[in-house]
Amino acid sequence: MAQAATPTITQNILRDGLILPRTPDPAAMVIFGASGDLTARKLMPALYNLALNRYLPSGFSVIGVADTALTEDEFRAHMEQAVQKFSRSQPVDRAVWQSLAEGISYVRMPFDDAAGYGRLAAELDRLDRERGTNGNRVFYLATAPQFFSVIIDRLGAAGIAKAGEGWKRVVIEKPFGNDLKSAQALNQAIHAVFAEPQIYRIDHYLGKETVQNVLVFRFANGIFEPIWNRRYVDHVQITVAEDIGIERRGKYYESSGALRDIFQNHLMQLLSIAAMEAPPNFDADSVRDEKVKVLKSIHPIDVANDVVRGQYGPGWVGGQQVPGYRQEVNVSPASTTETFVAVRLKIDNWRWADTPFYLRTGKRLPSRASEIAIQFKNPPHLPFAKTAVQELTPNVLVMRIQPHEGASLKIAAKIPGPVMRLRTVNMDFFYGSSFMVESPDAYERLVLDCMLGDATLFAREDEVERAWGLVDRIEAGWASQPPPAFPNYAAGTWGPPEVDALIERDGRRWRRP
Amino acid sequence: MSTDHTELSARTFVDVHDIQEELDQVRWGLHADGEGSEAAQHAAAEARASVCNLIAVVSNEPELGEVMSVLDRLSVTNPSRTLILLAQHTREADKLEAEVSAQERTESGHRVSTERVILHAHGEPARHLASLATPLLIPDLPVILWWPGRPQFDNPLFDDLCELADRLVVDTDEGFDDSDLARLLEVARRNKAQASIGDLNWARLIAWRHVAAQFFDMPGMLARLAHIHGVSIFHGSDGQTAQARLLGGWIRSRMARVGIDVPLEFRPEDSLEHGVHRFLIYTGGDEGPARFSMSRLRGGRLSTQIRLGEQELAERTVRLESRATEELLGIELTLPGHDVLFEEALAAALR
Ligand SMILES: NC(=O)c1ccc[n+]([C@@H]2O[C@H](COP(=O)([O-])OP(=O)(O)OC[C@H]3O[C@@H](n4cnc5c(N)ncnc54)[C@H](OP(=O)(O)O)[C@@H]3O)[C@@H](O)[C@H]2O)c1
Repeated sequence: MAQAATPTITQNILRDGLILPRTPDPAAMVIFGASGDLTARKLMPALYNLALNRYLPSGFSVIGVADTALTEDEFRAHMEQAVQKFSRSQPVDRAVWQSLAEGISYVRMPFDDAAGYGRLAAELDRLDRERGTNGNRVFYLATAPQFFSVIIDRLGAAGIAKAGEGWKRVVIEKPFGNDLKSAQALNQAIHAVFAEPQIYRIDHYLGKETVQNVLVFRFANGIFEPIWNRRYVDHVQITVAEDIGIERRGKYYESSGALRDIFQNHLMQLLSIAAMEAPPNFDADSVRDEKVKVLKSIHPIDVANDVVRGQYGPGWVGGQQVPGYRQEVNVSPASTTETFVAVRLKIDNWRWADTPFYLRTGKRLPSRASEIAIQFKNPPHLPFAKTAVQELTPNVLVMRIQPHEGASLKIAAKIPGPVMRLRTVNMDFFYGSSFMVESPDAYERLVLDCMLGDATLFAREDEVERAWGLVDRIEAGWASQPPPAFPNYAAGTWGPPEVDALIERDGRRWRRP
Repeated sequence: MSTDHTELSARTFVDVHDIQEELDQVRWGLHADGEGSEAAQHAAAEARASVCNLIAVVSNEPELGEVMSVLDRLSVTNPSRTLILLAQHTREADKLEAEVSAQERTESGHRVSTERVILHAHGEPARHLASLATPLLIPDLPVILWWPGRPQFDNPLFDDLCELADRLVVDTDEGFDDSDLARLLEVARRNKAQASIGDLNWARLIAWRHVAAQFFDMPGMLARLAHIHGVSIFHGSDGQTAQARLLGGWIRSRMARVGIDVPLEFRPEDSLEHGVHRFLIYTGGDEGPARFSMSRLRGGRLSTQIRLGEQELAERTVRLESRATEELLGIELTLPGHDVLFEEALAAALR
């Protein structure tokens, strides 16, 4: 019998039934700042774990770029040590590491050195030829923010970001700017070389399983959405509390403060996902469109009345005596940097009109907790005798991000016995993913998404700029006030006294998370 | 991470209503305390997470011990109601006994609890254990039937339980020969069968399927797949062929979808240990000859390589997880409905 004509195959049928829809294309990842802390603690361990679990394509290559004089072997050895120290899966498999390390090389150059980019281009060409990376590149800027524009400018000038076939993407670490103007300038500088869909702005909070779970909780369950609005919700409290101080990051923190460090990014992300409408699907632009709409709808903040800032003095946290902020290393003894912010927000749309959102974050608070708490209204009428319901508090639904991911619902129940007495009890759930299964690190998810071209969990230009707009407004308000009388809260307390007034004048109280 | 493991109670019963009552009590922790106690009041408003009902069937005591410890470890990730049936219909003198117990674990602040019933039957009752299992299940949750070892396809208990179950999980690596595989396929395709079939041995092949598929994600490689003209599978010669058969059946059934028939070559080798060791895919056509190879290395690794003509392309080494039984079972518990891919692979393996 004659051989039938060979059928053409348009998609990889061997992939059917496998969980991951595809493997990223073979690509080269250029890490700027490759001798730094982030590369060692997060990036390399993430790449190793992706390789181990078969998520990386063969031919995947890494070029480390930094200014320290290192041979290729020294750089690989340094990376191996980092993986051994920081990988979540242990022990490190030597053969898997070897196979990844074969694709790792190092280019030494100062970030502003035009000639260095020529060598980088040559190295990328070599990888295209020898390892089949086909012009696909991820430029990962794991450097201090002052280098972002320089690197991008030089990449553009050297033609590396545009040349030839394959896709080019750039990953920008936080902080993305330090006010609206600098964020806009940075966006502009990046757009001179990369188009928006090529840009991946990291907020590692979004890579956390727990944050993604909030979206699933809201949009994969039919029972919450109908009550998720001003008719049933009294108010919302979002807390990102840290018990630690600033550790050794004094220099950074002095120029940042809680507003830039947490409010502009993490708190705004939590606010967006708590308040957003359901996106029509889960692609990058649909999700981010909805998030941006929330930020756009925030009512102009009245800084004098709706914002409280604080700075910790000495105190006790977790049974330990700790110094005040002004006594920390690399901090000015007269510093006016805030280590605590609380903001009362209103969102001007149909869903949330007149439903306040209370946001707070701080360092050296009594415990570590990130959570979104939805407090519902009281029932319109209680058919029980007054004595029966003394203790009753309204229903609260809490979505905990950390430390113990999960949800809890406060409901009223009858106290067993012959008389009708009610009290509030807490029902704790934890989500499916936290049935004691190890979760991948946020960086694994984010690096893989970037290589697959999925920007859903990255911040978009307008999102970042909107958030900076809010920060600027608050900063401007503060600038017109007399300098704050810092420190104004003791380490180990829930912030300055004014923070209670902020919510109590509405007849409400802060939760103890 | 600290783990705290408490056995709350263990008592023996025979009457189904007694068992049900005891289950409710251990589930809500009402046990030791008297009515109206603080603990009992609290329990009344506490949430309990359960993801499924799990029925395991064993035929002797040593097997019971093993299965208990596997399920115990599984409960960490899949809190469930567990029924273990120790069914010994060949033993004389009818007997029926039930032991109810509850386990609770706390790990990193989370608590999971599992209730377990061991039903032990001799003689005639051993054939009718399904009638006792039904009222003990948690409503609305899927029922997973795990049959470690080779199922007794001819025992009426097997049919009864399959009818009750949403999923039957077996391990074809437990000495399934071709006729056992055929019986399994027949169960999957039975008209009234609502139970889908899961095979731990199939789950072990995920890594092989994944890396095989990845070859053809690479630029320019997909076209070569249309010119596949054979595969070779090297495996241990210990007489256990199910794993190799399934892998062959898998690629054959996938390619049959696009009308390509793939000749399979099985190469049992004395020097190899148990299971699949090497998987080679040969392609030809206008692009020229190519060989895609995957080899299992010591220490749980898989190394992959492509040869185009005489040229060797980049090698890659990845993990080939050697998963414990409870992990494989855990994977089976998260899979929805009929695994068409598996059934097609099984059918193609037997052709
Ligand atoms: N560390 C973290 O865990 C973490 C977490 C979240 C976000 N981030 C963000 O990640 C970024 C990097 O942080 P990091 O902690 O990794 O910083 P880092 O440890 O200070 O590392 C900086 C890197 O940049 C290189 N570098 C500095 N100036 C250079 C120059 N002129 N030319 C060439 N190379 C130069 C350094 O290389 P040489 O020393 O070899 O010159 C080093 O590799 C920052 O934007 C930070 O905000 C870090």
